[in-house]
Amino acid sequence: MKLPADMQVLERGWLSSNNILFSGSAGTALVDSGYLTHAAHTVALVGHALAGRRLDLLVNTHLHSDHCGGNAALQAKYACRTLIPAAQAEAVRDWDQDALSFVATGQQCARFGFDATLAPGDSLRLGEQNWQVLGAPGHDPHALLLYCAATRILISADALWENGFGVIFPELEGASGFAEAQATLDLIARLDIGLVIPGHGAPFADVHGALQRAGARLQYLRAEPLRNARNAVKVLLKFLLLERQQVPLAQVPALLGEIALVRQINRRFLQLADAALADWAVAQLQRVGAARIDGEWLRNHG
Amino acid sequence: MAESFDPASYQGRLPSPCISHCVMVPETGLCQGCLRNIDEIVGWASASEACKRTIWLATIERRRNHPGAA
Repeated sequence: MKLPADMQVLERGWLSSNNILFSGSAGTALVDSGYLTHAAHTVALVGHALAGRRLDLLVNTHLHSDHCGGNAALQAKYACRTLIPAAQAEAVRDWDQDALSFVATGQQCARFGFDATLAPGDSLRLGEQNWQVLGAPGHDPHALLLYCAATRILISADALWENGFGVIFPELEGASGFAEAQATLDLIARLDIGLVIPGHGAPFADVHGALQRAGARLQYLRAEPLRNARNAVKVLLKFLLLERQQVPLAQVPALLGEIALVRQINRRFLQLADAALADWAVAQLQRVGAARIDGEWLRNHG
Repeated sequence: MAESFDPASYQGRLPSPCISHCVMVPETGLCQGCLRNIDEIVGWASASEACKRTIWLATIERRRNHPGAA
């Protein structure tokens, strides 16, 4: 299925989320803004795609660092109106970095403001269409989906990818997330969808296949929560490698130890010494080709 | 992508060349990480498979000519 003329998808990698740009008769809008270290790149890509128009509206599906790290730079450039999930309005207003997950994950985000909030049940105009706002807890308790019934397009963020979904973060801290993630998949299954634009990876049409894969994966994680915990450590180390491209191998235990969420996961689920945790995580990334050891360096790969 | 990846013979939908090392280099007009120009990056998601293959092969050629690139 082709994208409607009022939409462009800026497909990014895994450090930055995809950016979805709308250009309509009533204005322009961008959904999600990538990671902080890519902010200049995001501004360049968005500016190029806008082809001389200015950015009127910025919307975040959720406030993880890889989805809102370009907010501050885009606001500085365009003074765009910004909408964020209502549940995190207070945390953003006070810039409570603990509530916003940046401290826990060891990831960076530049402070940004907002003008209004979005909650499940709302609708908004993006490009030439009306889009519904739906709640998508699981990966993040406050995450939102955007769905357009007229064009049958779903912006799924990290609730559904072509192969899987984002780490179920609430479970790592002892809160419920698996049940919510299942409910979110069930909600998506009830929508009439022709194209999914995920937070990472290429847009895809086979929503049925994606839901089957996601459902099986969720069942697998839910059966043994240690699996979600292990996956989270791997994902956090990979994110660190994507951000820095390479780190001294000898520093991996200390770098992982600096991430509060990794410490928490280790305490709750893994109970490994720092060095053993690092060795395990490095070996896991090597095994799947996501990192390679080059002398004294651990380098990003793939 | 892994060194063994060959876009000329790859079966299935071609993945993005992005390696998350995203900086436009003014002198070359190319991204430091994937060696695509800005049109190729912005247009990637809506490009045809044939076009994606052409872009991929161009990035490999550019890497040969810019051995210092990431």
